[in-house]
Amino acid sequence: MPRVYITGLGFITSIGNDAARVTTSLRELRHGFELYPPFQKPEIPVKVAAPVREFSTDSTDCEDWTFPSRYTIKREVLRGMAPHGVFAWCAMQQAIEDAKLSDADVSNSQTGLYAASGGSPHLMGYMLQRMHSVGVMRCSPLGIVASIAGTVQFNLVAHFKIKGSSCGFASACASSSHALGFALDDLVLGRQKRMFVVGAEDGNMDAILPFAGMRALSLQTDPNLASRPFDAARDGFVGTGGGVVLVLETEDEVARRGVKPYCEILGWGQASDGHNVAISHPEGTGLRAAMENALRATKVAPEEVDYVNAHATSTPIGDVSEAKALKAIFKTPAARPAISSTKSLTGHGLSLAGAMESGFCALAIRDGFMPGSAHITRLDPECEGLNIIRSTLPAQPHIAINNVSGFGGANVTLVFRKAG
Amino acid sequence: MPDAVQLSQGAAKPFVIPGKPFAPEDEAALREALKRCSPSTFEAAVQFRKTGNPEHLPAVVIGVIERFVEPDLRIKLKDADDDLRLIEDLGIDSLTMMEIVILVEDVLQMSINNDELRNLRTVGDVKTFIDCKVRGLSLPKPTKFLPIEQIAAIMPVQPPFLFLNEASVSSNGANGKYKISGQEFFLQGHFKDNPVMPASIMLEALGQLAVLYLLEGASTEPGKVISPNTIFFTGCEGVRAHRVCRPGDILTLSIKPKRMKMPLATFEGAIRVGQEKAAIAEEITMTFGFAEAVAQPVPVNGTAPKLNGENGSHSPTPLRAAVNG
Repeated sequence: MPRVYITGLGFITSIGNDAARVTTSLRELRHGFELYPPFQKPEIPVKVAAPVREFSTDSTDCEDWTFPSRYTIKREVLRGMAPHGVFAWCAMQQAIEDAKLSDADVSNSQTGLYAASGGSPHLMGYMLQRMHSVGVMRCSPLGIVASIAGTVQFNLVAHFKIKGSSCGFASACASSSHALGFALDDLVLGRQKRMFVVGAEDGNMDAILPFAGMRALSLQTDPNLASRPFDAARDGFVGTGGGVVLVLETEDEVARRGVKPYCEILGWGQASDGHNVAISHPEGTGLRAAMENALRATKVAPEEVDYVNAHATSTPIGDVSEAKALKAIFKTPAARPAISSTKSLTGHGLSLAGAMESGFCALAIRDGFMPGSAHITRLDPECEGLNIIRSTLPAQPHIAINNVSGFGGANVTLVFRKAG
Repeated sequence: MPDAVQLSQGAAKPFVIPGKPFAPEDEAALREALKRCSPSTFEAAVQFRKTGNPEHLPAVVIGVIERFVEPDLRIKLKDADDDLRLIEDLGIDSLTMMEIVILVEDVLQMSINNDELRNLRTVGDVKTFIDCKVRGLSLPKPTKFLPIEQIAAIMPVQPPFLFLNEASVSSNGANGKYKISGQEFFLQGHFKDNPVMPASIMLEALGQLAVLYLLEGASTEPGKVISPNTIFFTGCEGVRAHRVCRPGDILTLSIKPKRMKMPLATFEGAIRVGQEKAAIAEEITMTFGFAEAVAQPVPVNGTAPKLNGENGSHSPTPLRAAVNG
């Protein structure tokens, strides 16, 4: 079986719009939260979000949007995109440059792209409202392409001339980890030599606020306290958006091109709770099984794991559920890995989460650090006994895992290993 | 307006100025809709909405097209002739065409069917189309673009005596191009060590374009088709050559029908090389006839379709030609 490596990364996130800025934010625990202007209305109890900076995509007219000048996107490309399509497009540019890929490396039958996003509720809402007000024949011709789940791969596959496998994954907050897992499988099975994996979300008002109805969002008004996974006083997640792209390549391609990978992506596992449409199993049984499956598949013993990037979104039920699953896997207190939730810095990126946090794991392994879990003032007693690190450790994890859990009780664990 | 060809599906309702007068809020909505267009586009749209005068339409339509064309291609629209092609010259794909249509519909308060759009290939097609819609006229036959392969497949005359490389044919006439390659067999002797395109061949090329028009552009009675084997040259008037044409010159040919009455069709023709006039023919007349048997649509009553009379025994109806002026 060929080994598979991460050779390129691109980040448009609330904690930085390139790998260098993201690394600094992770090391120094700089969060991306603010009192999000669109939420500052009396009728909206949610106040904090973690928007992407340097982009302005609030208008329903894509020609009003602005983005950093290093990116040029033609109108004919932009018109089929949601805000998160633009984030993903920019992250894709970064990842291609980072991996030193030529046009021919990007566009060939052996290179594919898997993506995950929740679509664009903002543009979908606008399009439907316009359809009802001005008539069905006067909707934007590309309104559908820009707004439905799938918009990311539609756009990136067409504009970057991807010729290999392409599809999208829709398992909510587990989506981009599923995309990574199945991309890895395609490489291991020899179906492809290189895969782009993309996670992206708008992270704007219409993408975040619908979660208020299920009481999943933090109502904190202090951006420094709103997202605090594993803290006893946590009260929900903080929404974020962005786009992250990972380049996965087989060892043959890595050798042929002579590039230095971030890390190896060793394998993955998944399992489902079979319990509730939106609530994690209280004992974390699905996530525990996902971790067991991932470790078994990669022949990694629990005590070999150095770092866990937890799913923990800062919701009361979810974080405890994961803590129980982690305790069930990492039984020996002395050998428990460092655990943190980088959502304490970024907020929860929904479909973006798995790709973003896997990218963080790759940065951590290459650059030799383990980012701390920020904003814990009083650890939830249910999480005691786990090695939840509150500040960044300057040590290189040899093996790191990333957990995600999505609606419907879908759980995915990915395993990464230091290259070489 | 030319005696526009009878196209049943394209017939549109006459444009009606909405009952209520053009209000300030309409102007605000119009300004918003046209915010990425030139100020003159907006002005023309306001004038049209206030007066219903179709004279303002070309400025609106060109302004809307310009707004959707990539900035580096917009220069082409500055002094565009009507032959400027939407896809090939302006890079407008079918989705951009839809965006143009939606904005035009919004600004001019009309609705346009998908069927009507398929044949819009040039800026001129679009202008004519909008004009016909607003005036409530039926739509002319679309312009057809024919590459050499298609021309050769249609024409009775064949290489090495075919003097058209490409052509476009509409109900109003036909345009073509021919590049004098220098390999034409007659240039060996015309003249000795001094190849010059014979004026008679230039007239022949115009005649060939007229043949192509008869076969592809002329409107006939339903079910009747002009037979390629019935078309012959009968005469010409007022032929003048203005410029010596040599290998390397690209002849731009155009013909327009002046009169058509079975079995004669008369055209005017002109040839340019670049901007220079090369030759004109005030009149070129051809004779033509219909194909003997043509498949007809099956009548509703289920009886066998009637065939056209043989050898003209079924008296033919004069063609309804699209004649300018």
